[in-house]
Amino acid sequence: MSKPTANWEKLGDKFYRKIQLYTAVFDQDLELENYNVVGAPYSGAVAIYRNEEKIHTYRSAGSAKASIDIYSCAGKLLRSIGWDKGTIKDVGWGEDEKLLVVTEDGAVRCYYDLQGDFIPFTLGHGAEEHGVVSCKFYSSGFVALLGNNHLVSVSNYNEPRPKLLAIPPPEPVVSWAIIPPAYSLSRSVEVILAIGTTLYVVDATDAEDRDFSAGPFRHISVSPKGEFLAFYTDDGKVWVVSGDWSEKLSEYSSRAKTVPKDMQWCGSNAVALAWEDEVHLIGPRSAAMKYYYDTWVHLLPDVDGLRLLTNDVCEYLQKVPDETVEVFRLGSDAPAAHLLEASSLLEQKSPKADDLIQLIRPSLAEAVDTCVKAAGQEYNIHWQKALLKAASYGKSVLDLYSSDDFVDMCETLRVLNAARFYEIGLPLSYDQFKRLTPERLIERLTNRHEYLTTIRIAEYLHLSTSHIHVHWAQQKVRHSVADEETICKLIVTKLHNKPGVSFEEIARAAYDEGRVRLATELLNYEPRAGKQVPLLLGMKEDMIALDKAIESGDTDLIFHVLRYLRKSLPLASFFRVINTRPVATALVESSAWDSDRDLLKDLYYQDDRRLDGCNLLLSEALSQNDLHASLDKLKLASKYLQDSKDHTFQRQQLDDAQKLLRLQEQFEKDLAPSSSNAPLSSSVDKFVGLSANETIFTLIRANHNKRAQKVQSEFKIPDKTYTWLRLRALVAARHWNELEEISKTKKSAIGWEPFFKEILAAGNTRVASVFIPKCTSLSPAERAEMWAKCGLLVKAGEEAVKAKDRALLEEIKSKASGSATVELERMLSMMGQGKR
Amino acid sequence: MAPVTPFNSTEITEKARRDLLLLLEGVRGKKNLVLEKALAGPLNLLVKFSTLQEYGVDKPFFLENDNADSSQRNVVFLVRGEKASTVVAVADQIKRIRRDSQIEHEFSIFWVPRRTVVSDQLLEEAGVLGEASVSEWPLFFVPLANDVMSLELDDSVSDLYLRKDPTSIYLAAKALMQQQQKYGLFPRIIGKGDNAKRLADLLIRMRTEVTAAGESNSNSHTSFLGLTPSSTIDSLIIVDREVDFPTVLLTQLTYEGLIDEVFNISANQIEVDSSVVGGAAPQQGQTGSASTSMKRKVNVDPHDSLYSELADANFAIVGNLLNKVARRLQSSTERNQLAAKTTAELREFVAKLPGYQAEQTSLKLHTSLAEEIIKFTRTDMFTRSLEVQQNIMSGADPSTQHDLISELIARDVPLPTILRLICLESTTNAGMRPKDLEFFKRAITQAYGPQHLLTLSSLEQMGLLSPRGGASLGLPAARPGSVTNYTPLRKSLRLWDDDVNEADPNDVSYVFSGYAPLSVRLVQSIIQKQTLANLIKPPSHPSASASANPLAQGLRIFDDATKYIRGATFDETQTGEEKAVKARSMLNGNHGDAAKTIVVFFLGGVTRAEIAALRYLALKLKQSGGEGRGSRIIIATTGVIRGEDLVGSAIEKGRFQY
Repeated sequence: MSKPTANWEKLGDKFYRKIQLYTAVFDQDLELENYNVVGAPYSGAVAIYRNEEKIHTYRSAGSAKASIDIYSCAGKLLRSIGWDKGTIKDVGWGEDEKLLVVTEDGAVRCYYDLQGDFIPFTLGHGAEEHGVVSCKFYSSGFVALLGNNHLVSVSNYNEPRPKLLAIPPPEPVVSWAIIPPAYSLSRSVEVILAIGTTLYVVDATDAEDRDFSAGPFRHISVSPKGEFLAFYTDDGKVWVVSGDWSEKLSEYSSRAKTVPKDMQWCGSNAVALAWEDEVHLIGPRSAAMKYYYDTWVHLLPDVDGLRLLTNDVCEYLQKVPDETVEVFRLGSDAPAAHLLEASSLLEQKSPKADDLIQLIRPSLAEAVDTCVKAAGQEYNIHWQKALLKAASYGKSVLDLYSSDDFVDMCETLRVLNAARFYEIGLPLSYDQFKRLTPERLIERLTNRHEYLTTIRIAEYLHLSTSHIHVHWAQQKVRHSVADEETICKLIVTKLHNKPGVSFEEIARAAYDEGRVRLATELLNYEPRAGKQVPLLLGMKEDMIALDKAIESGDTDLIFHVLRYLRKSLPLASFFRVINTRPVATALVESSAWDSDRDLLKDLYYQDDRRLDGCNLLLSEALSQNDLHASLDKLKLASKYLQDSKDHTFQRQQLDDAQKLLRLQEQFEKDLAPSSSNAPLSSSVDKFVGLSANETIFTLIRANHNKRAQKVQSEFKIPDKTYTWLRLRALVAARHWNELEEISKTKKSAIGWEPFFKEILAAGNTRVASVFIPKCTSLSPAERAEMWAKCGLLVKAGEEAVKAKDRALLEEIKSKASGSATVELERMLSMMGQGKR
Repeated sequence: MAPVTPFNSTEITEKARRDLLLLLEGVRGKKNLVLEKALAGPLNLLVKFSTLQEYGVDKPFFLENDNADSSQRNVVFLVRGEKASTVVAVADQIKRIRRDSQIEHEFSIFWVPRRTVVSDQLLEEAGVLGEASVSEWPLFFVPLANDVMSLELDDSVSDLYLRKDPTSIYLAAKALMQQQQKYGLFPRIIGKGDNAKRLADLLIRMRTEVTAAGESNSNSHTSFLGLTPSSTIDSLIIVDREVDFPTVLLTQLTYEGLIDEVFNISANQIEVDSSVVGGAAPQQGQTGSASTSMKRKVNVDPHDSLYSELADANFAIVGNLLNKVARRLQSSTERNQLAAKTTAELREFVAKLPGYQAEQTSLKLHTSLAEEIIKFTRTDMFTRSLEVQQNIMSGADPSTQHDLISELIARDVPLPTILRLICLESTTNAGMRPKDLEFFKRAITQAYGPQHLLTLSSLEQMGLLSPRGGASLGLPAARPGSVTNYTPLRKSLRLWDDDVNEADPNDVSYVFSGYAPLSVRLVQSIIQKQTLANLIKPPSHPSASASANPLAQGLRIFDDATKYIRGATFDETQTGEEKAVKARSMLNGNHGDAAKTIVVFFLGGVTRAEIAALRYLALKLKQSGGEGRGSRIIIATTGVIRGEDLVGSAIEKGRFQY
């Protein structure tokens, strides 16, 4: 077994290693130099397509057809997408291995599952006229540079909304790069453009000149986490600047005559320059290292390293992780290195093993941790095992140690090794796996149709397998040639009662494939009513869709179906459909009140719901701007109830309403200030719109008693109510004389106490007091209180005397002052005498 | 491992806050915020305006005012997307701004609580979907206090009972489902009312759907456990408002209830005339445009210690309580000043000063509020209507109250007050005599205008007003279960308590000075059977009372009572796989029956008085040796309502005017 350090090289004070992942990657006939190669993040698939700018040997008509080929890192052809849609300007990957293809005219296709299914959209913003020049991609979006230097940004692929960024100057762009939103200071995408000798930073709102003069910059590259920027100048120098532009960190002169074809970051610590068959790795402080190849080499940057791809090999270039350095560095005296040594001595049954353990005893826990971590960084299974064994040995010596990390690592390594296997071809590093998450690894494997491996991994990691099952079933439905019944049976027996399986998704795939019967069949197994609705609508199963929507209880879905039905059905059948479903009727009604009254009218008419129809007309009457239009509506409303015996009361009320409005109109005409009929009313009273009671109130207040009485008799307003209205109106108008007149009458429908209270509340004690003697039903004490409230304490005293209530009298006296005191004193004494 | 507390208000608040701020962060640069009026309250409760400003909000606008200007490039709409009319309003404003403005705008729409299919369609039809980036703010429960969660759906009453639109049921189910997914299934769902039944059915249905969905996005660990019965929640009790309208119609007599009646609390805030509370500087950190110069917004904060002491007390004793606090404050500040001799003592005193000051301002505020309320309760109108209410609830012949009601109508008291009284009579007596009903209908149209024919018809639709099942109108006699019959209930649940003690309450009846809310009695019949049984039928031998009241067995009281109450009754238990149940109890530690949470969900709204009554219950349950074994009661609802809101949703706002 070769030493793990065999592929290490020192760059400055750091080690870098180049791991050979796969050999014999591509067919030797494939002229890689004539192709553009882009790799998906996290060691994902590689897409290659012919570089149109290069001449290539003519072979045959067949092979000359343009296509985008997707390979795994191990060179396995996953999918070849035929292309006949204009010139491809750029191809890139999003996270989840979405392949984006941008053509010259701004059309974009987002292939989401490695299988050739895509969502198209266009860039707009003038992309069609000016043409797309190139694009830069990041995990969830991309930026396209147009012929006129405009920049169009798309920030997500689920709902692509191309946005125009601020407009930079129109001079030719030498090179450019983007800082993804996750790493830019502003949290939105930023673009760095090299124009002329300077650099521009462009975001959504402005394009800022950074005032450089060392350009033109041939290449710009942003480190994976956006903390550093690298520039390649025309005179062969590489500059590294911190991400916030605050300081220039290093400058390296490559002394190369030709401009490299590519410059990429290798992790966050080194920059790689690539010429045709040569790669330079430049570290901090101008340290450099050179690799030479026999054939054309492509750089595929990743988050923690760089993939190098040639026809023969796929290699991974990365900084050697710290733990690995600690364990394997020549002459390392780290505890972990000793532990590994001890473990191998133990294997050889050497007693020295224990000596070593004793030596590192104080830091053994740390050594175990390091070995576990280093195992994760190792690609070679032999060394993984050796490190884990060492960790396990160290663990057994320790008294207390949590094995969680160890167990996790063993599990993870099994998964990683399975994914790295050449037939799968996902050479994930440990860090990449952690960033990718197991769920998304499962998704990638599913998209590669590696169902068995995927299910095993998912079960091994305790993840849900439902999605994998659904994916499998969808493929089955799409591609199986068996008859529909067999397919359905196969799918149902396999997937029924498996939690989380969405039969709706399978059914949709079947429906899209034109297998309608199969789709209907499958849909019956979907437990979520709401999920079925859109597909059912698509399948023209309207009634079932409506029932399912109601079943789901989600009003949004019900509305959705109802809107659809309303558009697609004639009115009569629409009503027939909703009639038998009360929830649907209620929703149609409530939304129609706001937006579609005519529909409501028809509905009520059709169902013979007279009262509702009448109410609708009444409500319309209220919203008219003209009295006569309102009256017409009211008349209609009343007529609506004509034939029905149940609603005589309502009808009468409607007729009364019309009568009242007419009367009020009359009053307004009669009492208008220009007419001499109303010399007393100084201001104009509005009547129309008042209620009957308010009309009476207003009339009495303005001294039109005759008219008020007329209203009373017209509408049979009870005497009590009328008296109250009169009282309040007179008080409001301060017609004291009239009130005193009333006090001379014998009877009042509401008794006399209200008169006292209302008038007192208006502040006229004199008139109020007039009513006190009339309140004969009250007790003397209460009457005394009333007198006292009017300030007439003597009268109150008299009341007390009448009632022969000495205590009351004394209480009154205590409140009194001035002459009243004397008078009360007298009364008190008189009373005292009477008693004694 | 400490047991997780379900329905934790801080947790819910924090999550809602984070979600919103994250959304705001997603819109780069300064932005104008256009929000629905109904959302201003909840928003203010969750996020301070200054925080919003930190996140780039420049100016807030109300959607209803249609005045959002183009001063910022970014315009953010924060609206509920369930109603088509709101969606159309948003679309119209986007179009207007786009048309009028010189610069190009970026529109974002945050739908609350979810993005709907219909909203997408409407936006598309209006041609604005392509221009706006649409996301959702999943705001369901808004914690109003530690034990009160509200969905703050202002329209839920009119939706449920007038328009029969079940949207709020669905949203409620969603909200409860979220909690179930987090803390486990409600082991038991019990309740009363047709809509409540629908909610329970929906919850059970969603459970199977969630199982089917497999919860692929979150990690499988929680979903596996999430769908087993919870070990920390005891049960979910759902009460449909329809079951018990009278409780809402009555005037609430607790302090908080009266504040609500007089000033209308909205999201823990009231608007008070500045002359009442003094013209202190308006509080910072309020969302929404500045209030008019005369009105001041005041927080009635459940975290304020003084307020929490007062809020649930009967108003009759609030004066005394305020006095006591005032005296305590005075004496403690004075005595301390005199006694503080050493510097250490002095330091201690000074450290307490801010506390005293806060208490002092709070005391001042509540004294002036109480004064204002006293002014209100002294009016003739208030005493008269209270008299009617008390008479009706104590079971007096309703026809004796008619004169008083007609007098109030003649005196032109506000319509809602009258409607509350009439509806109260109708709902407690299973309808009104057709003759009386017509009499009042005529009186109301005459006094308040013919447009209220619509109001009355809406009230009938809501079941608040109905003719008593007689032969005269050809209606069949009332079917059992279609109306609530109070006559037998008054006795079997002891709804009326003649010797109520307001100062030192011994029963929930204190909140209405006599009437024990039916809704609360129902809850009691489930969770506090023993006490209730003893209350209804005092044991003959005090010695035998301990636990042997036969009424307390099983669900006897509940079953007996629900026979006379309208709507469906249900009692479901949710069980999970045995294996999973064990796993959960292992994880959470088995704490037997102790300290579980009981969730009481009021579909269609809850009144402050009921909250007070339930808090009283919770207090009793917590007391050692009680039946509750230290249980906690959480009150969840679609919104906090008042009688005025209930009848108000029926009142026709239009009138004849030209």
